[in-house]
Amino acid sequence: MENPRIQKIRAEAQKLLIEEKVDVVIGFKKGSLPSKMQPFFASSVEEIEQLELNGLCSNNLAVYLNHRSKGERVAIICRGCESRAIQTLVLENRHARENLTLIGIPCIGILDIHKIEQKLQGSISSITEEEGQVVVVSGGREHRFDRLDLLHDACLHCEHPTPVNVDIMIDEAGWIPENSFDKSYCQAFRLLNIAQRYEKFSHETERCIRCYACREACPMCYCEECFVDHSRPQWIESTVEQAGQQAWHIIRAFHQTGRCVSCGACERACPLEIKMTYLTDLLNQDMERDYGFEVGMLPDQLPPFATLSETEEQFFHQQDGDHVH
Amino acid sequence: MKTVESKKPQIVLFQCQYCLASSMDQAWVENDLPANVKLIKVPCSGRIDPLYILNAVQGGADGIMVCGCDPHKCHYKEGNLHARRALSEFRNFLDMLGYPSDRFVFHWMGINEHSLIQPLLSDFENKLMNADLEKHLDTRQVDQEYF
Repeated sequence: MENPRIQKIRAEAQKLLIEEKVDVVIGFKKGSLPSKMQPFFASSVEEIEQLELNGLCSNNLAVYLNHRSKGERVAIICRGCESRAIQTLVLENRHARENLTLIGIPCIGILDIHKIEQKLQGSISSITEEEGQVVVVSGGREHRFDRLDLLHDACLHCEHPTPVNVDIMIDEAGWIPENSFDKSYCQAFRLLNIAQRYEKFSHETERCIRCYACREACPMCYCEECFVDHSRPQWIESTVEQAGQQAWHIIRAFHQTGRCVSCGACERACPLEIKMTYLTDLLNQDMERDYGFEVGMLPDQLPPFATLSETEEQFFHQQDGDHVH
Repeated sequence: MKTVESKKPQIVLFQCQYCLASSMDQAWVENDLPANVKLIKVPCSGRIDPLYILNAVQGGADGIMVCGCDPHKCHYKEGNLHARRALSEFRNFLDMLGYPSDRFVFHWMGINEHSLIQPLLSDFENKLMNADLEKHLDTRQVDQEYF
């Protein structure tokens, strides 16, 4: 039995394609493994039946906007983080807003496949979801888990699961209430002393194999040539040395200041389960404290590093040892 | 074997080419800097990418000094203002990850300030001499000739 959420999504997508309002609908379809869903580009009405949406859709679909030409009329099925990412990309002129049709869904959260695998021995043969519960069939036996225990950390820390500035909103209740979770784990990191903070940072980065899956999964990493790929001059170590691993994670995070939407797609893409959203969350917290800026919430507010204010002559980050005329 | 000179804290000075209004100061910076200070002269403080700072940190700099112009005195209108936003946040960020923020200072120079760069540098050097220079992010194997 199909759930009403996906029925409504298919109906909206079908309507857009029949009325020829869009050229392509970007969503998800079933992948080759029961635990994976894959991005799907439906350009004809017949393909609409393949559209799916569940907690296993781990990609951020806003990434695919960067691969499309600006003139193409695209409909995207978007959750909270995806709608904020699209809003930021539109602000950065990656796509024209009038050519986009956003089909918003109140978020149902994304399951962390590593958390499921940790709880089970054998391979997974099917995963089905009900509100509040996940049923996993593995080794011929049925296991039931509380859905909150399996949600990805980024979804547990999500502040705005409801999509913003969308054209069509699917009329179904989300499974994650607005503003129910907080980012107090960032505060816990700030309270550590400097050696402990470095310890935690280097402990995470030392596993990095520099595959750049985090970069490919990130909607905000769309540079034609990434700073790590520069060879003349070569800015950072390109090998799997500590210096190179740390430099990659520092500069990658810093380029996301005021742009990262905390979707956690980088962590889900990472084959070594490196935690990295805390870096961008820390930076975004600073942006909110200093400039009152929240990423992707307003359609006309530029990221703090791309704009200036009238009170700019005050250097309010002054510390002991700085000289200000 | 290390000489006495090499025990002095290694400082990297990033300097905007317009911020030292006095030509005497500029001549001193270009010709008579102490051996433990390395000068990186840039067209504007807005040109200083966080990557350059990180390169200096990973290359073993004990201290980093960024010199730029006063607000509204920028040769390129607002490069210094953008630099303030980005680099002061980068300082916070490095502090979070293991490079203490007191080892990274800013000097925003007025057009009528003279002979300041020498005392500022020596103050900074003295401060670093007394500080605990634990190197957390200093991880790159650098050529000994770097400094």
